[in-house]
Amino acid sequence: MTFLSGWGPIALAAGLTVPPLVALYFLKLRRQPLKVSSTLLWKRAVEDLQVNAPFQRIKNNLLLWLQLLVLLLAAFALGKPVIDAKESQKDSLILLIDQSASMEVEEEGGMSRLQIAKDQAKTEIDNLADGARAMVIGFSDRATIASSFETDKNVLKRRIDEIAATESVTTLSEAVTLAEAYMQNQVIGGETPGQDPTAQGLTGPVRVAILSDGNIADATKLTVKRLPTDDMQVISVGERSDNVAILSMDARRNYERPAMLEVFAMVRNFGPDPVTCDATLYINDENVDVQTMVLQPGLRAADAEVDADSSGIAPEDGTADTSAGGRSIMSAGPPIGSVASVAFDEVEYEGGGVVEVRLNVPDALAADNVAWTIVQPPRSVSVLLVAAGDVFLERALDALSVDVEQMTPAAFENASDDDLTEAGRSKWDVVIFENYSTKRLPPGNYIFMGGVPDIEGVSSGKTISNEILFNWDESHPILRYVAVDNIQVFQWSELTLPTDAEKLIEGETSPVLAYLARDGRQYLICAFGIIAEDEITGQPMLNTDWVIKPHFPVFLSNAIQYLAGSLSPTGMRNIRPGEPIQFPVLEGTQEIAVRRPDGESDHIQAAGFANVNYARTRRVGVYTAKPGIEGRDRFAVNLYSAGESDIAPRQKLTLSGKQLTASGEVQRVNKPVWPWILLAAIAVLALEWAVYSKRVFV
Amino acid sequence: MPATNSNKGALLEPDFIARLERLEIVSRKIFHGKMRGERRSKRRGESVEFADYRNYVIGDDLRFLDWNIYARLERLFVKLFLEEEDLHVNLLVDISGSMDIGKPLKSRYAMQIAAALAYIGLSNNDRVSVYAFADGLNYELSGLRGKRMIAKVFDFLGNVECGGVSNLSRACKQYAMRHAQAGILLVLSDFFDKGGYESGLRMLLGRKFDIYCIQVLAPEEIDPQLTGELRLTDVEDDDIAEVSISRALINRYKHNLQAYCAELQSFCTRRGMTYALANTQVPFDQIVMGYLRRRGLLK
Repeated sequence: MTFLSGWGPIALAAGLTVPPLVALYFLKLRRQPLKVSSTLLWKRAVEDLQVNAPFQRIKNNLLLWLQLLVLLLAAFALGKPVIDAKESQKDSLILLIDQSASMEVEEEGGMSRLQIAKDQAKTEIDNLADGARAMVIGFSDRATIASSFETDKNVLKRRIDEIAATESVTTLSEAVTLAEAYMQNQVIGGETPGQDPTAQGLTGPVRVAILSDGNIADATKLTVKRLPTDDMQVISVGERSDNVAILSMDARRNYERPAMLEVFAMVRNFGPDPVTCDATLYINDENVDVQTMVLQPGLRAADAEVDADSSGIAPEDGTADTSAGGRSIMSAGPPIGSVASVAFDEVEYEGGGVVEVRLNVPDALAADNVAWTIVQPPRSVSVLLVAAGDVFLERALDALSVDVEQMTPAAFENASDDDLTEAGRSKWDVVIFENYSTKRLPPGNYIFMGGVPDIEGVSSGKTISNEILFNWDESHPILRYVAVDNIQVFQWSELTLPTDAEKLIEGETSPVLAYLARDGRQYLICAFGIIAEDEITGQPMLNTDWVIKPHFPVFLSNAIQYLAGSLSPTGMRNIRPGEPIQFPVLEGTQEIAVRRPDGESDHIQAAGFANVNYARTRRVGVYTAKPGIEGRDRFAVNLYSAGESDIAPRQKLTLSGKQLTASGEVQRVNKPVWPWILLAAIAVLALEWAVYSKRVFV
Repeated sequence: MPATNSNKGALLEPDFIARLERLEIVSRKIFHGKMRGERRSKRRGESVEFADYRNYVIGDDLRFLDWNIYARLERLFVKLFLEEEDLHVNLLVDISGSMDIGKPLKSRYAMQIAAALAYIGLSNNDRVSVYAFADGLNYELSGLRGKRMIAKVFDFLGNVECGGVSNLSRACKQYAMRHAQAGILLVLSDFFDKGGYESGLRMLLGRKFDIYCIQVLAPEEIDPQLTGELRLTDVEDDDIAEVSISRALINRYKHNLQAYCAELQSFCTRRGMTYALANTQVPFDQIVMGYLRRRGLLK
């Protein structure tokens, strides 16, 4: 406890008031006169008692003591005592609370990092001066406003309590953007008409407190524009660093023996101690296999020191720059032995379902100890090739394990509906058109090579040549294992596509390959055909060298499987927590229920939509849509983030080029205690009166 | 405020006086008296009571030769007889201010005891002297003998004025210097003397008196019922003691009083004096008829 006024006023007040009180006490005593035969024994008795107590008279008078206590309390209160003195709080506080996966780590004492952070945040709220306002933002892969600027501390604390953990990665940029935007809105919202809003802005100082364990993926790339970095404080939460994580997992069917599954997982130890653990394989919750692995320490003592001195968070891809003080352990790769691959070969399983790999290890973070993927049962896909005759495509399709039928464009147009459809849908899983556009498209899946579906919003324009393939989405399952940079295309048609089309390959001026889902149909539109007419000679010519590359059949396989919905998990894009999932909608479906890993379901209106997007994927696990199209009704969400799994708290954070050092906990600020002392003085005064009234003599 | 005892009624009731007549004062020591009295003396004298024989020496009174023995043994023996002498009964009554306290007044209580003893003494033809002292021997009535003198004693005690500072030491000194004649000496006082009682009593010891110290205390002194903040004034010297009465203080006072009395008793016992504590709450006739008889002063 400290005194804002110092000891001077207290001493002065006590010095001025206490002696007069004592003097008054003696003066005000009206002693009853009484004659006694001799004072001899009385004096001796008084002296005897005074031997042990020099202020016997004072000691035995409760009233005097109570009055003295009142005076001293009042004098004490004059000194403006405060608890844990620090400079007084700013007018506005923005609390950014990390709610990412690593904040779920249970620390010593059984509290999660998030809980600790919330407690610290509440302390910050308590520290606010009366009338000061605060804003609370929770951030993980995206930011959510728990509370906009608010002055009611109870409301703020309630909002803080409502912040729930996610299993997402940590990014701060959205939170910073939100905070900056709200700062501006606050200015505009709170302006007084007729006055310059700029002058009325957040003229009062703003303080920003980031409560996090420091594993912020985008910290180094973040640019802070308006928030005052000088008043930014990072409050580091957590101490534990022992964690083992599955960083990737894949299940694929043996190409030659589709009934055999092969499951691979990469496991890494981030902790300072060696770990021996079991990895268990489950298929549809049935234990199939167990493997034991030994992992060396992932964080050595020396690394920890380097880490403490490093500028902050190493990017997940491990490309940190050592020269910039990045974490050497990341830039040089993980320590030998701390990463292990576990492979479950020759698992005979023909059905479809959920493949789960689980680590039986009692580490700090549970969300990364398990990984899921969805496998589909192997089935042969039927393909209709509608082309004037293309040997390259025919050969490529022959190489795939699909049932291929061929038809000319004219035959396709002339065929009856019964020949083309079955139960209202296309008879084939995938129909491939080459250099042919049509509007005869019963519900089904279509690949257009050099043509376009004759539907609204899609059209083909002028021929583009002498351009290069400029950009492509290599993470898309259709382009998995496809070396697009290795492809040469002589010419393609300019494509006009609706905005919701996914552009997989783009040229300099026009998309080249795009995916579009519309009215229960899926289209993969390629702007060029394999065979094109030579502009000069009018003879057919090979338009691309893609067909002679080994990855062309791979592309065809990916595309057919993707569209047919029987794509093996290998091609399935991994979904990170927080990323949206797109569920295709069965025709006539009104509502889709998405069952989350925690057992709860979300209901989404689906009437009239071909796909629904589901974004509440902030927990890892399997998400199932009902009703759904078989093979595309289940998605696995996995953390797979080295940054989040590396749970050792960071002590330093660089934001906008400014290095912030984390403090262990919220610094307490002045809490005035003098009102309580005065209250105590009044209570003592009341007691004194009661004692006086009762004439209590001790 | 000094007060006399004259207006407090008779010191002794007639019934009580009648009972006193049967008593006499007993001395544990045998004293030499000046006159023949009614008690045996240590001296061999002329009474009828035979005491002893001794060889005749020249100069002895021939009247006391035992001729019968001479006839048998042809040797001269002188008969010795016990001499009977009178007893000096001296009564020292404290009339200092501190005795003028209590209900009944301590001084009156002391005077009643003194009157009773004086009457017993006079009834037995003892020589009775009564002294009242405060800071010295203030009043004196000495050499009374014979029962009819009791009226003088009553008058004397009735006219004594209480007051003044107690000075036992000086009073005893004055008394000891004036009276060499041994006898019984009763000191009736509260012994609350700020100068101390020791030196005074020591001076009396030198005269070989048979000393009885009777400490007269009022119940207010033995068990004070006081509360609150008090300004205590000493009636003798107006000394002030400001006290806040507490249980601890009362306990301490009682403890000190007890120690004071015990010290006095011890002082007396060690020096052959008899000590008695008289609480004025106990009727004085019980003290006289009961307590003093038990202690052997009266029989």
